[in-house]
Amino acid sequence: MKNVMSNKYVIALYTLPALLLILTLIYIPIVLSGYYGFMDWDGIGEMTFIGLDNYITLIQDKLFWTSTYHSFLLAIFSTASLLLYLAISLVLASKIKGSDLLRKIYLIPMLLSSVAIAQLWMKIFDPTNGMANKLLEMFGVENTPIWLADPDIALYAIFIPVIWQFAGFYILIYYAALKNVPDEIIEAAKIDGASSLQIAYKIKLPLISGIFKVTIMLAVVGSLKYFDLIYVMTGGGPNGASEVMASYMYKEAFKLNNFGYGSAIGFGLLVIALFMTWLISKLTKSKDDVQF
Amino acid sequence: MKKKAFSSVMTLALAGGLILGGCSSSTGSNGESSSGDKTVVKMMHLWPEGSSNAQYTIVDDIITAYEKENPDVDIQTEILGNEQYKEKVKVLSASNELPDVGITWAAGYMKPFVDGKMFAPLDDIAKEDNFVAGTLDAFSVDEKPYAVPLELNITPVYYNKEIFEKYSLEAPKTYDEFLNVVETLADNKVTPITLGNKDRWTGSMWYMYLADRIGGPEALNNAINRSGSFEDPALVQAAEEIDKLVKMGAFVKGYNGLSNDEAKGYFMNEQAAMYLMATWELPNYTTTPDVSQEFKDKVGYFKFPTYEGGKGDIDSYVGGPGVGLFVSEQSKVKDEAKEFVSYLVEEWGKRSVVDAGVIPATVVDTSNSELHPMYIDILNDLGNATNLTLYADVQMSAGVADVHLNQIQALFGGQTTPEEFAKTQEEALAAEK
Amino acid sequence: MSEVSTQSSAATTLSAPHKTKKSYLNKIGFGFLYLILGLFAVIQIYPLIWLLFFSLKTNQEVFGMSPFSLPQDPQWGNYTKAWTSGNIGVYFFNSVWITVLSVALTIILASFVTFAVTRMSWKLSGLVLGLFLVAYMIPLHSTIIPLFNMYNSANLIDSPVSIVLSYTAFNLPLTIMILLGFYRTFPREIEEAAVMDGCSVHRIFFRITLPMTVPVLSTTAIINMIYNWNEFVFVNTFISSDNWKTLTVGINNFVGQYLTDWGAIGATLVISIVPILLAFLFLSDKIVEGMAAGSVKG
Repeated sequence: MKNVMSNKYVIALYTLPALLLILTLIYIPIVLSGYYGFMDWDGIGEMTFIGLDNYITLIQDKLFWTSTYHSFLLAIFSTASLLLYLAISLVLASKIKGSDLLRKIYLIPMLLSSVAIAQLWMKIFDPTNGMANKLLEMFGVENTPIWLADPDIALYAIFIPVIWQFAGFYILIYYAALKNVPDEIIEAAKIDGASSLQIAYKIKLPLISGIFKVTIMLAVVGSLKYFDLIYVMTGGGPNGASEVMASYMYKEAFKLNNFGYGSAIGFGLLVIALFMTWLISKLTKSKDDVQF
Repeated sequence: MKKKAFSSVMTLALAGGLILGGCSSSTGSNGESSSGDKTVVKMMHLWPEGSSNAQYTIVDDIITAYEKENPDVDIQTEILGNEQYKEKVKVLSASNELPDVGITWAAGYMKPFVDGKMFAPLDDIAKEDNFVAGTLDAFSVDEKPYAVPLELNITPVYYNKEIFEKYSLEAPKTYDEFLNVVETLADNKVTPITLGNKDRWTGSMWYMYLADRIGGPEALNNAINRSGSFEDPALVQAAEEIDKLVKMGAFVKGYNGLSNDEAKGYFMNEQAAMYLMATWELPNYTTTPDVSQEFKDKVGYFKFPTYEGGKGDIDSYVGGPGVGLFVSEQSKVKDEAKEFVSYLVEEWGKRSVVDAGVIPATVVDTSNSELHPMYIDILNDLGNATNLTLYADVQMSAGVADVHLNQIQALFGGQTTPEEFAKTQEEALAAEK
Repeated sequence: MSEVSTQSSAATTLSAPHKTKKSYLNKIGFGFLYLILGLFAVIQIYPLIWLLFFSLKTNQEVFGMSPFSLPQDPQWGNYTKAWTSGNIGVYFFNSVWITVLSVALTIILASFVTFAVTRMSWKLSGLVLGLFLVAYMIPLHSTIIPLFNMYNSANLIDSPVSIVLSYTAFNLPLTIMILLGFYRTFPREIEEAAVMDGCSVHRIFFRITLPMTVPVLSTTAIINMIYNWNEFVFVNTFISSDNWKTLTVGINNFVGQYLTDWGAIGATLVISIVPILLAFLFLSDKIVEGMAAGSVKG
């Protein structure tokens, strides 16, 4: 009956161009990169084949596991922040007065490039002149923290701008998803006497759960390979306190002339991300089945 | 409505396809035809017009003049910012596509390129006598130069004369006097020293000077070239002195999280009294129009003070050549490239100090040029220098340098003891050989 | 506006017994809500204002005292500098067309794939989708050196083709994932009815699915646009001549070996945010309009 919808020619026509692009521009390079992982190569001279040495070193490398732990922390915080963004989007999408303007304002930071965001937050965190400490001083705090210079808090301090940077991204997606919920259903619920909270909880959230699942995936994988602000703002320091997987990989490959090892780290990152995705899809499977 | 939206998307996509196709073919033909019958020499450098106008102009002028003298040569430049330059060189060398002429840093940075046969030996164009003693060595591997130095920097301590006067302080000559200055300022809630130790090489300079003043220039050099040990008592003692300074509150709050640029801001805005930095900062205190004359007049400098009972003397400096020019070994126009490099270095030497405030590595005759007095003083100091110790992280290979720099950050951050500090670096250095 | 009244009327009907007390509480609640919303709005708009101030400061001021102070003597010269030194006009033009082209390509290709995966039945759809999901996990810096080699052998180095292709390829996985989340919530009835009516697949896709997903497409267009507009690793690596560089690389023009001209960087950032801000405001309305149009039709 659904003959048209399984027309092989059309399927090929629709999927092959995109598939071809990612196969050549993403998959071939990552396979090559995995191959460099078997090499002792400084990225400059000759390569020497060293078998699994890089990967064995990787498994025993404390720094790698510390950076993995940091990346996981970021993934957890990013995922938790999704709830806040979802709450904001619920309010914005509920057609309260001024929501249109508010929505536009909320999304503005998303337009800024990492260069600008890094500069802004480096100035906020400046221990003497920065806004964070000026505020604390106003509240009478005397021993104000040194933020990015303190190995105990640098990692968490840097999470703030990283997570904030993506606020607009998720609010935008949730907003679009919520706007996508047909008005009729909500109207019907209202007539049945449901409160706004009930509508949000019982109707809207289940309807966008599919998209929520996608954003969890995006947040986790995005965090695991996150690089930009951390590299600019702390360079992974002080003394490795804020090193994450991608910054560690970059450092080894591009700064320390261990291109082979850097490639191995990149491959490790991919394997970990794959495992996490598999885990998440397992964990969220049941809901998915109900949904679709 | 619907139709419209769709058709506009489609036209965009189609138009895109056309542009794409058009572009790919046109660039292909352009790339080949533009060279014509001229010899193209590709050069990459890191002095963009915006931030380094003086250097940019000098290079640009030199290229114009050179092309006039050699009408069959076409020099094509690609200009990048500092970080981007380093990253791109990495990618290019991994793909064996280095430009004919480019910028390199000395010693530890350069060595892998030489070992990988990426840089051509320049012994035929680099003559020892043309350069300030020692600068060419920094760009040599096994006595053979692989790049020619363009700059030379030493590292004085800049200080704010007004702040010093306010607390009746004088530029210190001995380390005890220096400690007194630090203590007085700290007691009066003035930040004594600003330091951007997120960048780590900044803190390394403080450590290097203490190592030099306590153990003489040999102590650190020997530890690095493996004829000595990093656990030399002088090197441990230098680390203890750093620890002491940290505990005295000598450095600006949160120095381990500040970049050099941010830290510099404290000095430029008179929130800190002292700043140890190389002479590339001089334009800020002399010629740069963006900085107020009022501030420039307040800035003085002193040589890093001597340490009582130490082996180093006051005319020994931390510093060295900054960047140099290499010629790619793979270049198809090696002869033309070399000729251009030697021309550039010579012309650069004539102009850089006067026009850009950059002290060249070539011997300068300053007798008849109108230089700011601070430059004349620095050039004289340079002339009287007894020793120049190349920045430790530049001397070391990238891997060991990273250990050194991390240890510096840990030492300043109180996360390691002076003994551990020395031991970790000794192990890293020993493991490399 | 009318929504607010429906809200409150719903609330009043619900709380008929304690009418006055409840509506009083309601007011406080709303006041509190707006306070939080307003505070968040200030936080979110502040960076833009900060950037504006930043762009009018001297280097000395940028790193001085309070970063929140007004520029003492506005340095409009930063803008002149940003605009005149380097080829910002060319960069600007390149940024625009490269972004537009890449976004259009990404969205159309991603829609094709998502449509084929969610609406059409075939055995390998799971595998294909999986390939895109995994591609999202690959860190960019792992691919950069092999990619350079490939483009180099294809003679595409220093050609905008390499940039457009890279942007499209690297944004496809993300775009498909987002589209997927939405496609699954869209009703299939219309499409199924169309199949019954004997419509061709192309017709269904172009006439029904694509118009129906305009709000989502606007969402992904915004995201793609921002990513492409601010991207610099690819441009920096694959492009060497000034003719094809984009605005983000223009910032490099003010990063020196030892000195960086932060004021001019600020000015360049402000100049580069204007077009994308306008495009954003335009597309952002499309999300809502599209929804409205959709519901009228439905």
